[in-house]
Amino acid sequence: MQVNEELIKKVIAEVLQEVMGEQAKTSSPTATLPQRGGKMTLVEVGVAKKGTDPKEVVVAIPPAFGTVFTETIVGVPHSEVLRQVFAGIEEEGLKPRLVRVYHTADVGFIAHQGAKLSGSGIGIGILSRGTTVIHQRDLNPLNNLELFPQAPLLDAEVFRAIGRNAAKYAKGEHPTPVPTRNDPMARPRYQGIAALLHNKEVRYLDRSKSPMELEVRFE
Amino acid sequence: MAQMLNEEMIAELVKEVLKGMSSSGGEGKPPTPKESTGQKGSLSVKDYPLGSKKPDTIKSPRGNAFSELTLDAVLQGRATFEDFRIAPEALLMQAEIAESAGRRQVASNLRRAAELTKVPDERVLEIYNALRPHRSTKEELMAIADELENKYNATACATFVREAVSVYERRKLLRGDIPE
Amino acid sequence: MAEKKSKRFEVLNNRPVHKDGFIAEWVDVGLYAMGSPKDPVPSIKIENGKITEMDGKKRDDFDMIEQFIANYAIDIEIAPQAMAKSDLELAKMLVDPNVSRNEVTKIFQGLTPAKINNVMDCLNIVEIMMGISKMRSRKTPANQAHITSAKDHPVQLAADAAEGALRGFVELETTVGVNRYAPLNALSLLIGSQTGRPGVLTQCALEEAFELQIGMRGLTSYAETVSVYGTESVFIDGDDTPWSKAFLASAYASRGLKMRFTSGTGSEVQMGAAEGKSMLYLETRCVMITKGAGVQGLQNGSISCIGVPGAVPSGLRAVAAENLITVTLDMEVASGNDQTFSHSDLRRTARTIPQLFSGTDLIFSGYSGVPNYDNMFAGSNWDIEDMDDYLAIQRDFKVDGGNKPVSEEEVVAVRNKAARALQAVYDALGFPPITDAEVEAATYANGSKDLPDRNVTEDLRAAERLLNEGINGIDIVKILAQRGFRDIAEAIVMMMRQRVSGDYLQTSAWIDSDGTVYSAVNDPNDYQGPGTGYRISEERWKEIKEIPWAIRPEDV
Repeated sequence: MQVNEELIKKVIAEVLQEVMGEQAKTSSPTATLPQRGGKMTLVEVGVAKKGTDPKEVVVAIPPAFGTVFTETIVGVPHSEVLRQVFAGIEEEGLKPRLVRVYHTADVGFIAHQGAKLSGSGIGIGILSRGTTVIHQRDLNPLNNLELFPQAPLLDAEVFRAIGRNAAKYAKGEHPTPVPTRNDPMARPRYQGIAALLHNKEVRYLDRSKSPMELEVRFE
Repeated sequence: MAQMLNEEMIAELVKEVLKGMSSSGGEGKPPTPKESTGQKGSLSVKDYPLGSKKPDTIKSPRGNAFSELTLDAVLQGRATFEDFRIAPEALLMQAEIAESAGRRQVASNLRRAAELTKVPDERVLEIYNALRPHRSTKEELMAIADELENKYNATACATFVREAVSVYERRKLLRGDIPE
Repeated sequence: MAEKKSKRFEVLNNRPVHKDGFIAEWVDVGLYAMGSPKDPVPSIKIENGKITEMDGKKRDDFDMIEQFIANYAIDIEIAPQAMAKSDLELAKMLVDPNVSRNEVTKIFQGLTPAKINNVMDCLNIVEIMMGISKMRSRKTPANQAHITSAKDHPVQLAADAAEGALRGFVELETTVGVNRYAPLNALSLLIGSQTGRPGVLTQCALEEAFELQIGMRGLTSYAETVSVYGTESVFIDGDDTPWSKAFLASAYASRGLKMRFTSGTGSEVQMGAAEGKSMLYLETRCVMITKGAGVQGLQNGSISCIGVPGAVPSGLRAVAAENLITVTLDMEVASGNDQTFSHSDLRRTARTIPQLFSGTDLIFSGYSGVPNYDNMFAGSNWDIEDMDDYLAIQRDFKVDGGNKPVSEEEVVAVRNKAARALQAVYDALGFPPITDAEVEAATYANGSKDLPDRNVTEDLRAAERLLNEGINGIDIVKILAQRGFRDIAEAIVMMMRQRVSGDYLQTSAWIDSDGTVYSAVNDPNDYQGPGTGYRISEERWKEIKEIPWAIRPEDV
């Protein structure tokens, strides 16, 4: 696996910029990003409402996803992440819905927020670095249906499988959990960088802002 | 991050444990405490370890002598699982030893523990959960403090819970302090 | 035109160390190891027997952690005198052999978190090591192992626990691949450990209430994964407060179970909530929460966040300093070294030197007693395949790392006996049978790859039965005695008896084969310079020296 050097350079450059006194933006209503894996446009279309359609799965992302950051910690483009998760959900005949959560950067709470907004009660939370959780409305926030804590091990294939499994839970099935990968050497390589990225991510939080509905266009 | 506790699961597990305990010889009888064997203020580091130096002073909650808690006693039914529990007196003796070794906080913890020996397993876990952030109202925690004091004579634990209430109130850690 | 590349740099860039993540400091968010310019300035004000100001903050503004520390962790009698000393004066006390350990702990219990943090920054790494050696609570050092299996294979776990106990580890810790296997893993460790050496303590690291429950059953004898954090918001995200955790600590003691808390540098900044403070300052607060709760010891040394301090400048110095703070406040330390930390063998050896050469209560927490591919704590800094290197280093430096050389025959014998004992217990309980082929495989295995797969669904049903039917330590004792394993049964009764006397609830306790408890109470560290403190006995030195693969003059 490749360390995503460009991403790290970008983050460090931004950190330096901030240290020099530049203000962090707290929201970005529209973002169009040219990137590997295709272009993606995210447009905010108002406050996210609680869904009623039992055939929907809500995907929830933090403020910096697809805006400040465009790739996961190992360089999977955010457009590709969403494309695969959506495809997985659609393969099972369900509909994906995308929301942006502003008040927390904890993947468990983000996913739980998604689940609470979801008509089926199933939500997926994805951090910018890639860490992902499948959640259910009536579980405790720090509990989950499936947790993928090692972001460096998540690739397109896993993201698709996550979408599929979330949809299966929404249909009331009991899917076999997506096999979790374990790499003892992921920690030495990525933990420090993950901490850096996470501190970056939390800078874009707005504790008082409600989750927003997003329209996504893949080009 | 610390793992999250699923309350239902715990409740379920605790019920199962209790069921298991009563079927394996406990018969649900409350242990009958024997008179105190610890002589207050008389123990120091010289008496430690009690199991080697003062085995005669230790008894299980149902009165078995420490030296009689042997394999033969188990096989002949003279000692059951319930007899391998610590008695409040032993905890108070260990508290004295900790204090004489200069560890006043360890001693306080052991004294709180001595009080909790009288609280059933299930209730101990419930109180722990109630003390977690945003779990309880002020009134609920105050009721727990009263229960500890009045029902179990656990005065140190009661004081501790009341102190938590004042901190939780000031730091907005009570139930209802965040949207549910 | 292609840029010309240095062959030297190509070689360097391909070294394992370049696979590690290194990052620059970021002061504002607390991505900073120790001595951050944003750390609070020490201060204390005491009025009417109460701390009314600490480290520049008024009592009314204390967060819950500060209030807990002010109420329970600081000795207000000694505080005025202690806080009046300069950082350097206090730092010198930590290394000066003429100042006794007792005197130092007494003074340091009067210091605030910011003051302790400042004192640490006066010390270089050798002085920190000197401090650990002098301030360690128990005189004799020891070691802990992880015993886990990628397959949660019960027979492998029993065999590896037996081998770990034989190799000298005084504590064994397990956890699971599949959550619901936990009761069976605890059972395997109980039987295996007492086969290898009576007296070895065992734990099953899992969700906290479950750990307490399985301990009450007599299937484990201690707990360690009770986490505390250095900022209020991260503590609350972890779903606890210092008061709930302290209550849990009393609950453990009330059932006669040993326990220690866990914390470590980097956890707060990892969660993006370090409030701009250095990792070591926040860890100092964790150590003081533990002290205030009256918990006998702490597992620290970054633990599962080691990749964070490991990535920033002076990070590993901070990790050693957090161990030093723990022992200076008179507690047991289980000093980390327990997680994969580097791709570089040189770096991972260097990371362990401060704890190994100084000696701590438990140098690793723990050392992987199985190959790292079987380590379900996501890998330890050293594993069983490094064991002969470890034994050689003990011998090279005449240092006691807590382990001893063993012969292949002894290892094969205890592994086999543990596997057979477990086979008998499974049979008596009507659990899925353990075949003779499995016993044989576990006897000679290195890791789970050498063992046949089991029927997981059936094993999990047995795990459920173990919980539901309330099977406890004494039930296991009876079966073992009936099935001809009377010595293992005796050992488990001896372990069960420990919870009646409570001797092993005292600071830094471990249990010898005959049931005698050694702790900081009856084996206190009395270091006062050369010739004092822990010295390797003749008997122990003979044990360390005699690695079986050394060539003796008479062999040539």
